[in-house]
Amino acid sequence: MSNAVVTKRSKKQALGRYGRVGKALDELDDRLGVAKGGRSFLDKIFPDHWSFMLGEIALYSFVVLLATGVFLSLYYIPSSAIVTYHGSYLPLDGQSMTEAYASTVNLSFAVRAGLLMRQMHHWAADIFIGAMVVHMARVFFTGAFRKPRELNWTIGVTLLTLAIVNGFLGYSLPDDLVSGTGIRIAYSIILSVPLVGTYLAFFVFGGNFPGTAVLPRFFILHVLVVPGIMLALVSAHMILLVRQKHTQFPGEGRTEDNVVGTPMFPVFMAKTTGFMLIVTGVTALLGAFAQINPIWQFGPYDASRISYAVQPDWYMAFLDGALRIFPAWSFHSFGHTIPLEVTIPAVIFPGLVFGLAYAWPALERMVTKDVAPHNLLDRPSSRPKRTAAGVAVLAAISMLFIASSTDVIANFFHISLNTVLWAMRVLVLVSPFIAYPIAYKIASEMHATRGSGKRKTANVVTRTDEGEYVATAAPAYADDVAHDLAPTPVPQYIEAVEADEEPDDGVRTIDR
Amino acid sequence: MGASSARRSRIVAWGLSAFVVAVPLAWFTPAHASTLPPYQTGRRNAGTPNSSVVVKKHGVVTSYGDSAITYRAPSPALAALGQALYLQNCASCHGTEANGVPAAGTTGAYPNLVGLGPATIDFWIESGRMPAADPRSVQAPRRTPRLTHDQALAVAAWINSLSPSYPYIPTVNLKDANVANGAALFALNCAACHTIEGDGDALARSTFAPSLRNIPATQVAEAIRTGPGNMPRFTGNLSDYQVADIVKYVTTEIQHPRNPGGFGLGGLGPVAEGFVGLLLGVGLLALVGFWVGERQ
Amino acid sequence: MSERREHRTAVSLNGLREDDPHLQPAARNPQLVERVIALTLLVGVVLIIGFGAAYWVNAAPWTLGATMGGGLFFLGVGLIAWAKYLMARGPFVEERHVLATSQEDRDAFAAAIVERGGGVVKRRRVLGGLVGGGLGAFGVVALFPLLRSLGPLPKGTLFHTDWRAGSFAVDITGRRIHVSDLAVGSIVTVFPEGTQNTDRGQAVDQTVLIRLSNENFTTQKGRESWGPMGYIAYSKLCTHLGCPVGLYEQQLQLLVCPCHQSMFNVNNGAIPNFGPAPRPLPQLPLYIDAAGYIRSQSDYHEPVGPGFWERS
Repeated sequence: MSNAVVTKRSKKQALGRYGRVGKALDELDDRLGVAKGGRSFLDKIFPDHWSFMLGEIALYSFVVLLATGVFLSLYYIPSSAIVTYHGSYLPLDGQSMTEAYASTVNLSFAVRAGLLMRQMHHWAADIFIGAMVVHMARVFFTGAFRKPRELNWTIGVTLLTLAIVNGFLGYSLPDDLVSGTGIRIAYSIILSVPLVGTYLAFFVFGGNFPGTAVLPRFFILHVLVVPGIMLALVSAHMILLVRQKHTQFPGEGRTEDNVVGTPMFPVFMAKTTGFMLIVTGVTALLGAFAQINPIWQFGPYDASRISYAVQPDWYMAFLDGALRIFPAWSFHSFGHTIPLEVTIPAVIFPGLVFGLAYAWPALERMVTKDVAPHNLLDRPSSRPKRTAAGVAVLAAISMLFIASSTDVIANFFHISLNTVLWAMRVLVLVSPFIAYPIAYKIASEMHATRGSGKRKTANVVTRTDEGEYVATAAPAYADDVAHDLAPTPVPQYIEAVEADEEPDDGVRTIDR
Repeated sequence: MGASSARRSRIVAWGLSAFVVAVPLAWFTPAHASTLPPYQTGRRNAGTPNSSVVVKKHGVVTSYGDSAITYRAPSPALAALGQALYLQNCASCHGTEANGVPAAGTTGAYPNLVGLGPATIDFWIESGRMPAADPRSVQAPRRTPRLTHDQALAVAAWINSLSPSYPYIPTVNLKDANVANGAALFALNCAACHTIEGDGDALARSTFAPSLRNIPATQVAEAIRTGPGNMPRFTGNLSDYQVADIVKYVTTEIQHPRNPGGFGLGGLGPVAEGFVGLLLGVGLLALVGFWVGERQ
Repeated sequence: MSERREHRTAVSLNGLREDDPHLQPAARNPQLVERVIALTLLVGVVLIIGFGAAYWVNAAPWTLGATMGGGLFFLGVGLIAWAKYLMARGPFVEERHVLATSQEDRDAFAAAIVERGGGVVKRRRVLGGLVGGGLGAFGVVALFPLLRSLGPLPKGTLFHTDWRAGSFAVDITGRRIHVSDLAVGSIVTVFPEGTQNTDRGQAVDQTVLIRLSNENFTTQKGRESWGPMGYIAYSKLCTHLGCPVGLYEQQLQLLVCPCHQSMFNVNNGAIPNFGPAPRPLPQLPLYIDAAGYIRSQSDYHEPVGPGFWERS
C-alpha cells in the first residue's frame, strides 16, 4: 500500500505539478504557443444578464438544426422522379408521388427515430428564427448595435435573412401539398420582378414551374450553400463578440472600460453547456409531444390540387399577410405589366424592412451625431424615441403576421372575410402610429420614475462631533448575496487555506 | 416527362376500376351507353338510377346503386307521418306545398323543396341544419338534430311523394372502399374548401365550409351527391366507388387522425405551430435564460 | 507547501485565498443544494439510459423524444444549477482593452497600401489596367454562361397553354367530359387530353369546368359562343400568384383562391370582386362536338396565371 503511494507520488513529480494535463498543454504550447492566449481565454469575463441568453437560444438551436439536419439528409432523396408509394402509411398506398415526398414519409415512419428527428429539426427551425428575432430586438432596444458593433449587427441581420430563406427552402423540400403551394407562390413572386422576372424565375427553377430541377437545387442550397455561409457568419459573429467583448448594463462597478460577470472557465462554460442541453432537450420534448407539419396528411403535391388554410411557417407569415391585404394594383402600360400587387408586398416591402434594419446604426448616428464607442447598454426606457420606433415597426409586422390568417380569424369568430381583410388593412397602417406614442410615453415615464419602487437600503444618519449630520448607506441586506462585493479580477492562483492554519489576516471563513 | 412512366400504373389502376364499373353498366344501362368509347367509366349521372343496378317494385324505383353505395327511397308508407311533421316544423318557411312559397302574411323567399330528392331532405334535417334556428342567417350551422332519424325519413318520404326524384338516401359500403384512393380524391375535390385536414374554413360573405370532424358516413355521401348550400354537387365527376373511397377516408383518417408525432395542434397547421414554437419553445427557453442569468 | 507558495508569489499578479468571499458558492446551504443537484442529474442520467432502451426496442417517437428531451433537460438544469449556486459567485471583472491602435500604426498601415501598392499601380498603369480589366471581364463573362446554363429562356412559353382548337377536355383520370356528365352546380378540373398526367398539364393547362344554369349569367362581349349549354371553363390558375382556384361556391357563384382569398365572379366573366387578384381568370372557349364531348375552340386568348413583365 505504502509502496504504491510512493510510486504514484514519484510518477506525479516526474510529470510536473499539473500532471498529465500540464504535460499535454506543454506539448501543445511547444508547437502552437497557446498557453498565454488560452489562459486569457479561460479568464474572459462574460456579463451575466438574462437577456444575453436569448442569442444563445439561437446559437444552440442552430447546433440542433445542424445535427438533426445531417440525420435527415441521410434519408431524404432530392428527386422529382415519380414513384408509387407502398410503405407503412396506408392512406398513401398506391398513390404516385415524387421521390422527395416518398422519402420524407419513409424517413418519418420507417426510419427509427426518424419522425422525432424531423420534428425536432422543424421545431428547432421555428425556435431558431424566433430566438434570432427576440435577440435582435434585445440588441436593438439596448443600443448594443452602436459603435463599435455595427459590423456585428450587419452580420446578425444577414444571418436572420439567410435563416428565413433557408427555412423556406427546407419547408419546401418534402414536396407535400402545402409546401408545393409555397413553391408555386415563390415562383410567381420571382416572376413578378419587373424587367428580369421571367428570366430569374426560369433560371432558378430551370424552366417553367414546376420542372424537375427545383428540388435538387433547393436541397443543395438548403444543406450546403446557405448553412455553409451561415456557419461562417455565426463564427464571425462569435469572433467579433470575443474580440470586442460583450456589452453590459450599467451598474455598480461597471464602466465603459471593464466587463463584470462570470469567467469563461468554469462558470460560464458550465452554464452555457447546460443551456445547450436545455435547448436541445426542449426541442426534443416539442418533437416528442407536438406534431409539426404532418406531411402524410397533406399528401403529395400536384399543381392542380390545393388545400384551404395553407400557410407558410411563421417567419414567412408576414409576407403572406402583406400579399393578402395589398390591393389589386396591377400596372399595365406600354405593352408591359408590372404586377405591383405582388412586387410591392413581396419584393419591395421585405427589401425595405431588411434595408431599414441594415441601415439603422447609420441612420441613428446621423440623427444623434453620436460617434463615440459604447460598451454600456442603454435601458430601453432611457431612449424612448428609439424604443418607440422599434415598437412601431414590430407592431406593423405583427399585424401583417396576423393578417396571414384572415381566413382562420374569420372562421374562428364567424365574421366575414371581407370585414377581417379591411380590418387588417386598417390595422397594419394604423398600428405603428398608435404603438409609437404609447411606447414613447411608457418609456419616458419609466425613465422618469426609474428606481422608484425598488427596495433600497436604509440611510443611516449620524451626527458628528461638530454637529454635522452625515447620511451613509446602511450595509446591504444580508440576503443580497454578493451585493456588497466589489468585482475582482479572476485570480491567477487560489491560495489554499490549511485546515489547521488560522487565517492571520483577520478574514474569517464564512461558515454557511 | 419521366413522370409519365411511373404514373402509368395509376392510369392502369383507374382503367381497371373503370372496367369493373363498366361491366355491370353495360348490362343495366340503356342501349346508347354501349356505344361509349372504352375509356368512359360510365359515371354519367352517377348517383341516379341511370348509372346503376335498379330495383323496382310496382313500377316504382325503390332502390338503385352498386356494390359501393345503395340508394334507397324512404318507405312511402311514412309519407302521412312525414306530412304532419312537415307542417309542424317546415311549412312556416317552405310553405304547405313545400314549394318555397310560405303562407300568406310571411315574407321572404325560401327554397323550393319539391324535386330535390330524399338525400337532400335527409341531409339537411339529420345534420340539424333544418329546421333552422335563424331562418335569416347566411348559412345554417350544424346542430343537434331536432327530428329523429325516422322522422327525417318520413319528411323525405312525403316530399318525395309530391314529385319523385333523385338521389335517394345512400348507404355506403365502407368495407370494400379504398382509403388511399379516397385520400387522393379528397385532396383533389374537397381540400380546397374543407382544408386538407378537414377542419373547414371561412368563405366569402360570412359563409364557411364546415368542419368534417364529426359527420356520419351517410351525410358525407349525401353532401357529395347533393351539394348542400354553397358546396358544388359531385355527380358525373365522381363514381359511387370514388364517393365511397372519399367517405372512408373522411370517416377514418380525417375524423380519427393517427397523429404519430404527438398532439395534433388543432389541425390549424403553421398558425398553431408558430404559436407553439414561439410561446412554448422560445418562451420557455427565455424563462430558463431568465433563471440562468442575473436579473437586476 | 512553502515551495509552492514561493513559486506562486514570484509569477502571479493576483491571487485570492481559498476563503475569499468571491470564491464562495452563492448558495446559503451548499450541502443541501448539492444533494438537490445530484438528484436532478441522476434523473437526467436515468432518462438518458431510458432513451437508449427506448431506441433499442424501437418505441414510439414520443417515448424517444420524452426520454431524450427530458434527460438532456435535467442534465442541463443540474449543470447550470451547479455553476450558479456552487461555483465561485464572483463578481469578477476584466479590463476592456482599447481596440484602436496607435496613430503611427494606422499611418504605417495606410502607407503600406497607398504608397507601396498605389505606387506600383501608378508606375504601371497599363499593367494594372490589364489585370483589373481581365479579372473584371472574367467576372462578367463567367456570370452569363453560369446564369444561362441554369435554365432555358422563357421565350413564349408563358404565353401559351396546351389547349388547341379541338382539344378534348379530360379529367385527371383522362376521361373525356361529356355534355351529360355534369349537373348544374357541378365542377370538375379538366386538362387538354394527353396532358392530365404531366407537370405542365397540371401546372399550366389546368382549367375549371363548371356547369351553370343560365339565369343570372352575364355573357361577356365577344364570348357569346364560348360557354355552350351552361358549360363554362376558366383557367384554374389564380391571376395573383398562380394557386389553383379550386374553391367553388355554388350558390354565390364565386371561385375563391384558397391562398389569398381572391374571389372571382363566375357569373360575370370571372372578374375579381375581392382580394388581391388584379385580373379576371382567362376564359377558355368551348364547344360541344357531335358526339356530345366538351372541346376547346382554341387556346386561351391571353396568358394564364400571375402577371409578369412581358405580359401586355
